[in-house]
Amino acid sequence: MNEHRRQILQMLAEGKISADEAERLIAACEQPASSASSDSGATTGKPRPKYLRVQVDALEDEGHGGPKKVNVRVPIQLLRAGVKLAGLVPPQALEKANRELQQKGIPLDLTQIKPDNLEELIEHLSDLTVDVDSNEGHEKVKVRVYCE
Amino acid sequence: MIPFVAVVSLSRQPSRTFRLWIPLFLIWLLLLPLAILLSPFLFIACLACRVNPFRGVAVVWQILTALTHTEVGFEHRSAGMSFHIL
Repeated sequence: MNEHRRQILQMLAEGKISADEAERLIAACEQPASSASSDSGATTGKPRPKYLRVQVDALEDEGHGGPKKVNVRVPIQLLRAGVKLAGLVPPQALEKANRELQQKGIPLDLTQIKPDNLEELIEHLSDLTVDVDSNEGHEKVKVRVYCE
Repeated sequence: MIPFVAVVSLSRQPSRTFRLWIPLFLIWLLLLPLAILLSPFLFIACLACRVNPFRGVAVVWQILTALTHTEVGFEHRSAGMSFHIL
């Protein structure tokens, strides 16, 4: 029992305040504590990921060689810095890149991508898990992309 | 902190691994005078491209510091290669 609650109950026992007033005071005392604990839970409940991991496992049938593995770990901080670097690209270069992309059949407007959007994208990378299983010819390929 | 060492591991058999430690700090030391010499030209280039040179330097520094703990590895049969920045 904390000090404030004890004082309130003491005042109630001495008849200085009514039961309703005591209840309101206790609720008021508990409110900031509960909101603070919920805030800290939001930050500590789910740790922020530090790395983006890409794993590729390719299993080949017998006679075509052994398994192949690729394992890449990229710090999220590096992605963040890369996004900031992309933000430095001058608009003329972005327009030129847009034209090239459209010529290749990719309808993407890079000028519409703002650093804030990319920041948001990185923030939500923690929820990202991509699992791809494919059978191509004599090879079974498994790709996993996730944050850790 | 910028990375000081990179490790390249090469393995042909599971029990035999050759590790090469690359002292990146020596590379930074060599590049530093070059960067200082080139800084006026880079400054002018940034202004010509309408990029804030100070922001550019800050971003490059952030990329350098974020490189730490980057890891890339390949394996095929019993052979493998990995690159790890420490």
